[in-house]
Amino acid sequence: MNYDMEDTQNSAPGSLPSNQAAKLGGPRRGNDAQSTTKRLQTELMQLMTSPAPGVSAFPNSDGGLLSWTATIEGPEDTPYSGLTFKLSFAFPPNYPYAPPTVLFKTPIYHPNVDFSGRICLDILKDKWTAAYNIQTVLLSLQSLLGEPNNASPLNGEAAELWDKNPEEFKKKVLSRHRVVDDE
Amino acid sequence: MLKSRQGPLVGEKKSSRAITEEYAKADPIYVAKTAALPQKFSHYRPILGDGNCGWRAAGFSYFETLLRLQNGARLEEELARMTSLNNLLTTVGGFEEWLFEDMVAETTNLLRDLTDLVQSSPQAAEELLRHRFNTHEVSDSIVYHLRLLASSWLKGNPASYQGFIPDGLGVDGYRKDWIEPVNQEIDHLGMTLLIDILLKPIGFAVEIVYLDRSEGSQANSHIFQQEDSNGVPTNPNGPTIHLLYRPSHYDILYKEQVPMQIMDQLARNPQVNRALTRQISVHETPVSMGGYSQLDMTTLLCIPGFGLSSPPQHHGFHSPQYQQQPIEQAFNSSPISASISPISPGASSTTTSSGALPGTFPAQPPSQSSLTSPTIAAPHSAFPPPATQLPIHTNFPPQARPSLVSNPSITSHLPHTSELSSPSSATSSFRPSKYEWEAAADWQEPVVFQTSTFKNSHYNTAHYNNPNFQPEEWTPESEEPPAPRKRSS
Repeated sequence: MNYDMEDTQNSAPGSLPSNQAAKLGGPRRGNDAQSTTKRLQTELMQLMTSPAPGVSAFPNSDGGLLSWTATIEGPEDTPYSGLTFKLSFAFPPNYPYAPPTVLFKTPIYHPNVDFSGRICLDILKDKWTAAYNIQTVLLSLQSLLGEPNNASPLNGEAAELWDKNPEEFKKKVLSRHRVVDDE
Repeated sequence: MLKSRQGPLVGEKKSSRAITEEYAKADPIYVAKTAALPQKFSHYRPILGDGNCGWRAAGFSYFETLLRLQNGARLEEELARMTSLNNLLTTVGGFEEWLFEDMVAETTNLLRDLTDLVQSSPQAAEELLRHRFNTHEVSDSIVYHLRLLASSWLKGNPASYQGFIPDGLGVDGYRKDWIEPVNQEIDHLGMTLLIDILLKPIGFAVEIVYLDRSEGSQANSHIFQQEDSNGVPTNPNGPTIHLLYRPSHYDILYKEQVPMQIMDQLARNPQVNRALTRQISVHETPVSMGGYSQLDMTTLLCIPGFGLSSPPQHHGFHSPQYQQQPIEQAFNSSPISASISPISPGASSTTTSSGALPGTFPAQPPSQSSLTSPTIAAPHSAFPPPATQLPIHTNFPPQARPSLVSNPSITSHLPHTSELSSPSSATSSFRPSKYEWEAAADWQEPVVFQTSTFKNSHYNTAHYNNPNFQPEEWTPESEEPPAPRKRSS
């Protein structure tokens, strides 16, 4: 860094030395997705080195790391026990400063998921924090399966059946579930 | 959020008159408050209202203030501190290092790059700072680092803040709902937490100016700064960051440029400032003494509070200018020359006070004693003529007081002074004397000084709030009695 100082002193007043100009507008600063990519690489490492039971995720083969496919196993003692669900993650270029878009790819009957697989979960919207990550999202979704938020359902019928008719609910879950092909 | 979502994250510094114009057609309270704003703050820097403005404004100001200190070592200290705070994030905050290391890296990289530039090219350093804070990826990382720090600090110090957490959320609920969500505006508790972890520990104060519809012709403001257990600021001369708060939005305010290097020196070592002032006194003495500079006035400067710029200036007895006047009287100088001769650069207040001595100079026409302040006249009326001995007494340090107190005409107004408590707390280690406090307190009221010259001068009683303030000691044994006393006796 001593060279920096010399450059500065030798340059004409008011003009930025080239190395400082590089700092100001260098390629690393120009690309928003760069730090996102790095973060997602780190997340992948974490998922592989310390996996959580019942959840997994991996980037799609199309490269770019901005789209992933994840799986959740239905928790024991819930209507979803024994079922596996696939989800898609789409990361915005400013991830983790904006939440990923998460959808159920496997059809699921659940009070907080609509028939397109869209999820109503506050941590994927206004309560998203940059300290969350793919694994914490998957674990949150897994617990959502056993503890739906029936106060704000996307599927009103499911919310009602969850409370009033667990057997009917379980039937609906099983009839809706089907295995989707890997992409 | 009320402010525009367009434009740069951190805007260019503008004249704060722009705010006045913006509110020209608003509610009369806003008109009055924004009209008064530019008198105190010359410039402001708009921050994008994207839900992070308060965090970003405070964060940017943190770096900008560090830059203005022009002190590479200070930046390096911050680099070390920020790195060591990772421990807080993991052990107290409960965040995993791999999650925040990239964010912290943006903070530490910026500190490192600024350290490299600050000495050689301050201008490039400022540009770099603005550029980084306007690059989303970097700016958002730094802002999020600040959120993590505030969140961890709350987790580690729940007792101090619990009472301020709304709606029975609890510490963890508050962290999840108010601090950690990426676009959640900072609330008052969040700002307090951020100041407490980021700015107070390094002696930076934050003044928040609240521009709202509350009554008044000026915006209210509150200063957050490190205080000791008695509420006395521990670093009263530290740099201050000014933020403008409008409901749910923060911008940065600036006073006119202050030489921050001096402020920093002051903050670290108040003695420096006093040494400077004393040099000035020595320098000015010959000027004001005119042809009588053969008198050795410099010994007087060793007496605490004795000098051009000591707080109880309006006593008028202790300044070199005053000494000149009896001499001129002795030489039958006209009263007019007596009033003109004391004028020396920067001594106008002394001139006024030396004219305010009717008891001492009966020859002067009434108009000469152009008293404007009753606080000046009152004490003097109690002094019996001839008063020429009083200057010496009034400027003696406390241990020399008994001779003064023994004078019955003076004890008559002692009860009045004893009611006064010192402006600083009772535990303050420095108390020059009650009489001087009275003088300083009275004298302060009508005059509002805001210049940096004042802040750094002896007039500024804020120095007394500094627990590290150490007055120069006067040791009678090692000094000749002051010259004027000999002369007048």
